[in-house]
Amino acid sequence: MSVSNEVLLTVTGLEKSFGENKVLKGITTEVKKGEVISIIGPSGCGKSTFLRCLNRLEEATEGEIKFRDYTVTDKSVNINEVREKVGMVFQHFDLFPNMTVKQNIMLAPVQLKLMSVEEADKRANELLTRVGLLDKADSYPAMLSGGQQQRIAIARCMAMNPEIILFDEPTSALDPEMVGEVLHIIEELAEEGMTMLIVTHEMGFARQVSTRCMFFNEGVIEEENAPEEFFGNPKSNRLKDFLSKVL
Amino acid sequence: MKKHSGKRRLAKFGTLLIVLTCVLSLAACGSKVKENTVLSADDVAGKTVGVQLGTTGDTFVSDLETDGSNTKVERFNKGADAVQALKQGKIDCVIIDEQPALKFAGSNSDLKVLDEEYADEEYAIAFAKGNSLRMEIDGALEELKSDGTLDKILSNYVGEEIGQHPYVSENNGSKGTLTMATNAYFPPYEYYDNGKVTGIDADIAQAFCDKLGYKLVIEDMEFDSIITAVSTGKVDFGMAGMSVTEERKQNVDFSVSYAQSKQSILVRDPEAAAAASSFSAKFKADFLDDARYNYILKGLVNTLIITVFAALIGIVIGFVTAMIRSAYAYTGKPKFLNLLATLYITIIRGTPTMVQLLIMYYVIFASVNASKILVAVLAFGLNSGAYVSEIFRSGIMSIDKGQTEAARSLGLPYGKTMRFVILPQAFKNVLPALANEAIVLLKETSISGYIGLNDMTRGGDIIRSITYDAMFPLFGVALIYLVLVVVLSGLVSKLERRLRANERK
Ligand SMILES: Nc1ncnc2c1ncn2[C@@H]1O[C@H](COP(=O)(O)OP(=O)(O)OP(=O)(O)O)[C@@H](O)[C@H]1O
Ligand SMILES: [Mg+2]
Repeated sequence: MSVSNEVLLTVTGLEKSFGENKVLKGITTEVKKGEVISIIGPSGCGKSTFLRCLNRLEEATEGEIKFRDYTVTDKSVNINEVREKVGMVFQHFDLFPNMTVKQNIMLAPVQLKLMSVEEADKRANELLTRVGLLDKADSYPAMLSGGQQQRIAIARCMAMNPEIILFDEPTSALDPEMVGEVLHIIEELAEEGMTMLIVTHEMGFARQVSTRCMFFNEGVIEEENAPEEFFGNPKSNRLKDFLSKVL
Repeated sequence: MKKHSGKRRLAKFGTLLIVLTCVLSLAACGSKVKENTVLSADDVAGKTVGVQLGTTGDTFVSDLETDGSNTKVERFNKGADAVQALKQGKIDCVIIDEQPALKFAGSNSDLKVLDEEYADEEYAIAFAKGNSLRMEIDGALEELKSDGTLDKILSNYVGEEIGQHPYVSENNGSKGTLTMATNAYFPPYEYYDNGKVTGIDADIAQAFCDKLGYKLVIEDMEFDSIITAVSTGKVDFGMAGMSVTEERKQNVDFSVSYAQSKQSILVRDPEAAAAASSFSAKFKADFLDDARYNYILKGLVNTLIITVFAALIGIVIGFVTAMIRSAYAYTGKPKFLNLLATLYITIIRGTPTMVQLLIMYYVIFASVNASKILVAVLAFGLNSGAYVSEIFRSGIMSIDKGQTEAARSLGLPYGKTMRFVILPQAFKNVLPALANEAIVLLKETSISGYIGLNDMTRGGDIIRSITYDAMFPLFGVALIYLVLVVVLSGLVSKLERRLRANERK
């Protein structure tokens, strides 16, 4: 678990409005290779919107986002190239129900000609072994539990060999007994040095796994710090207030 | 287990069908026909009178309709339909040209023609205004009159010597083809015999074509379509026991008259107890005599051809327009094509299919000599495309937004996302709606008769006009549609089950 000095992502003055509703009000931050950032905050404060701006599922209204040499906020950038390197895992897994587990994993690498079918098949087997679901390779998503589906969604994302993975509440839609198996996989990824931004309500997990925690409130980063300081010695009243409610 | 339930369903369906047939047949036979109340021309006022739409009889009784005598007029597309309504007691009398009246009375023992007659009239041939063909044919008609051919043809159909002077064609169509529009439900002038349009008009037309060196082609269509077909140039002339009227003269030119007729009153014969022929005799007359089932079978082939090709066209158009509209909804492009697609869908869904079919035939293809099947395939295909488009579009919209986002977040471009993720799911969701559209389309083709196309419905109609029995031809046709629809639905639910089973492994 080591954070390098190599900057992957730079966000400068990011603003986002939906019509009249200004959701993000100027966010500036930097993500270095190997960082694991937990994003917490009350409902509706713009956590998801922030994450979705990073791979342009939402268009930023103001400000600039850079991923390596790509200016994500620039209309002329080939956003698909960015998305190949910036993976995303969703709250509701969103596996493709018309494909088997393995087809889900192989689709993008093969269709984007990043791997041959044989290579993608091999990689899928590796990833399935890793998430402990090799025996489900030919099952359809509808036959899997929520926890299993989310593990497959992570494997599908990993198949692209991304440099960053964005997690938007990966365990919120799961029954409590399945939360552990998904968090365990994210933990392993952290140990291997994968750069990740994780929106989560799992405070224990955030404290244990992240290298940095961010507290979002009303469209700004109210406070950010290393987890010990963040949880042990919160500065702002809002964070103190929030932590007292959720811990 | 599965096989079992399939068989049981079939058995259920069969039973239902038999019960339905029995109930309907009983209903058809049980009722007693009203007694005749029209004994002379004076009795017509105040009664319910049947006429053929657009004929002289129609013009004549239209006056009665508004003179306060409380006369009701029912206008039928075919003379034979009016006769059938008369036989069933739905109307009190039919006013129709003399010779058809005699012919109908001759072939229906329970009908008779009153002795009194209405105004004389002259039959002539209709041409497009200014068509020089009229002069040519006038000349030929005069010759046929003076050499006795005309009288001979007439005497072959009316009078004492019926069938004794058949006209034999010399058949030397060297100068090209002439197309004649007629309405073959008007014996003895024109009617179907052994699948061919025959009668006085057909023979006279053949005679002057022979004289002038043309080959004759006869097109059967609704009577009130003939004038339009002539004036738009779809056909070369119209000949259908058509009398010269001022209104018609505004749209077409008429030849010299080739026959005289009077309007007669056809009523039920109080003397003759309706010869209730047995079920099996009726069945035999409707389907077996002269191999009349062929009218339905040939029609079925046309119905299937139209349905299959129109469905294919509909799917292609529907798919393309749905893709355009979905792309526009997602990306804001392509603007112009989206506008075009939206316009197309609005127009097609906002107008009746029948009107579209008529526009396709009489306006768009007015001066082009395209086959009717082609016209129908295009009209129904275009029509279906609009509905299929909306089906596809709603199918695409029904797929959760998360699916698109998941695919796009992996770096897949819009096109590949559609092709591999959205469309396969959307297709499965809309399969029932698509099947339903195919079923609607199949049934909707039954209006093809309006452009004179012999589809299955019209096949049944032709039989009805020959045998005057409504039940068997209509039930026969209905039964075939029903079987087609049930088979189609069965196939689709099988396919659906298979697709669903895929996801439950
Ligand atoms: N597509 C959209 N159109 C309009 N408003 C939106 C849209 N997406 C989000 N919003 C609004 O933006 C605000 C922030 O939403 P966001 O989903 O980012 O919150 P969040 O912090 O992720 O909350 P939660 O913890 O509930 O997921 C909310 O008020 C929401 O209603
Ligand atoms: Mg959220």
